[in-house]
Amino acid sequence: MDKKEVIGLLDGNTSEGCVSEGCGGEFYADVKEENFKEIINSIKSKSLILVNLFCAENFEGYFGFTLFYVFEKRGDRNFIILKRRIEKDKTTSICEDYPAAYWYEREITDGFGVSFRGIFDDQRLFLHESYPADFHPLQKSFTNRKIEVKKTILPQEEYGFKNVFGEGVYQIPVGPVHAGIIEPGHFRFSVIGELILNLEVRMFYKHRGVEKIAEGKTPHECVKIAESISGDETIANSAAFCSAVEKISKIEVPERAIYLRTVFLEMERIYSHLGDLAGMTVDVAFPVGASPFFILREETFRHNDMLTGSRFMKGIMDVGGLKKDVSSEALSNLSVFLNKFTKRFDEALDIVRSSPSVLDRFERTGVVKKELVSTLNLTGPVARASETAIDTRIDHPYGIYEKIKPSIKVMGEGDVKTRFEVKASEIIDSANIIQKLINEMPGGSVNSKYKISDGFSLSVLESPRGQNVHWVYVKNGLVDRYKVRTPSFCNWRAIEHAVIGDIVPDFPLINKSMNLSYAGTDL
Amino acid sequence: MINQLLNIVKPKVTEDFKFRDTEFEEIGIQLKKEIAGIFGRSLAIREVDSGSDNSPEIELVNLTAPYYDVERFGVSFVASPRHADVLIVTGAVTRNMEIAVKKTYDATPEPKFVVALGDDACGTGVFKDSYAVVGGVDQILHVDLKIPGNPPSPKDILKGLLALMEKIKNP
Repeated sequence: MDKKEVIGLLDGNTSEGCVSEGCGGEFYADVKEENFKEIINSIKSKSLILVNLFCAENFEGYFGFTLFYVFEKRGDRNFIILKRRIEKDKTTSICEDYPAAYWYEREITDGFGVSFRGIFDDQRLFLHESYPADFHPLQKSFTNRKIEVKKTILPQEEYGFKNVFGEGVYQIPVGPVHAGIIEPGHFRFSVIGELILNLEVRMFYKHRGVEKIAEGKTPHECVKIAESISGDETIANSAAFCSAVEKISKIEVPERAIYLRTVFLEMERIYSHLGDLAGMTVDVAFPVGASPFFILREETFRHNDMLTGSRFMKGIMDVGGLKKDVSSEALSNLSVFLNKFTKRFDEALDIVRSSPSVLDRFERTGVVKKELVSTLNLTGPVARASETAIDTRIDHPYGIYEKIKPSIKVMGEGDVKTRFEVKASEIIDSANIIQKLINEMPGGSVNSKYKISDGFSLSVLESPRGQNVHWVYVKNGLVDRYKVRTPSFCNWRAIEHAVIGDIVPDFPLINKSMNLSYAGTDL
Repeated sequence: MINQLLNIVKPKVTEDFKFRDTEFEEIGIQLKKEIAGIFGRSLAIREVDSGSDNSPEIELVNLTAPYYDVERFGVSFVASPRHADVLIVTGAVTRNMEIAVKKTYDATPEPKFVVALGDDACGTGVFKDSYAVVGGVDQILHVDLKIPGNPPSPKDILKGLLALMEKIKNP
């Protein structure tokens, strides 16, 4: 894509001088308030997908709020970001054209106090009832500190869930503390008998204020914060953050570090998917089938430990490369493990695939229709199992993926069985990629000297769950705004549609088949 | 498909683990003895996530997975706090989870013990000064044992449980 095409996409509602290319290859277009509705109409008519919507205060000299609308055109490498400066703290919503925007807009209202006219649901998103009213933590006027919260919550202040009425219809509230060893989140089911009529998901119980504590820190200090967003997306989040900073400061990452980073990213994909396959099989009461996956997963964790000193690969990623090198002994041990891996994994898959009761539970359960994928910006295995061939490693290549293309499996049914198969094929593909990388591993150093420059950049990569979008704004050498949107933020909306028509006992299975991160959503 | 007749004639061999961890096994056997003495052979644990980054939860699930299989030492993870002897709380307690954690603690019958798992729950960790977080678990509950780590490995968790048994015996 080039600037002319961007102006063409916006139907000429912006001029050459207002379009600029960012550090990460994305295009920024300054839009005026008078043309904004027309621009959104033309973007929608060209089927662009809303990928992210966030706000920054005091951006590049403008003391008010700047809203960033990130769009993706299928088949195009570059993202388009509309920059909208708003005068006061009230503006219009784009929910009429992009219904999925309302979670982003509610997030901005909570964080910055900007209210959106025309939004469907204006309840607070990540600040639950105990936070005081008119508290907007991401505003520059609030410096991070402990605050007083409400001790009691009146009934009229409680969060309102959608009610479904009818004879015999009742509500099942599940969470935030769940029965198993799992993260907290609230699910409000409206059920008749066992059949689910409606599901409303309420997240953000784990909101820890990631974006606020990153502000004012050096990029090097922020790597640890990026790692702590979600434990099983450690490498994906820290690599996305480091990559954004490296693009801003034009830091050249040594080749060995790029290869090793990709090895870690693919190891993360393997252990994450193995956990999903095991979890799905346990949820249909077939622990014999799940055990081989658990065994392989534990061995993957131990190899992570041998490679980096941490079972989750924490503490290895750094701006400009890696904090320390990986020994060739660890790499050759990994190679030996992966040689035997495919046979053991195939045997484990056969056990599950040849059990008729498991197949009966998996098939036609939790169907995610293809139309939801672009409306809700579903990404990752969930999208690939619903007949949409998207993968950030192929559509917007980065690092090694410019040379080594992963092969993805796309299937059409969109049910639990399809997601199981898609994840299984991704594990085998990741194992092959790692073998290739280990065989071609270059020597040299793994970190480089660098100087931090000011600027802002988008960084998008494919975590195990899907498209992971980070945006970093560095001012005076410190992180001024860090916006994270993990794939779970978008994919949670899919569950509300997938469970309709299924029975309540199928819910844990559907949930596990999508395996979304509560911590990655809540930040 | 396995030939049923051969199963009767040949000796049964299960998969051989090459990563057998003797230290883990020793701690486990000691833990089993302690649990038999203090808890009548069964220790029921309820896990509550008050805002972790999900890695302590994954390590706890790994404890029940075939490699460690902690249930053979008498430890079981229960679904309801009302069935629990020990509450393992992970994560720096977020403002949004504060009430839920307190309610879970109140629902657990006496005698009960609280273990804080991971650096966030122990009050260290990157989120300790955030506006959204209360701090460590000891800010809202009485904590009997802290197991630090980011996250603590399954072996560390088991050592921690053994230390908890020692503490219960000698308060």
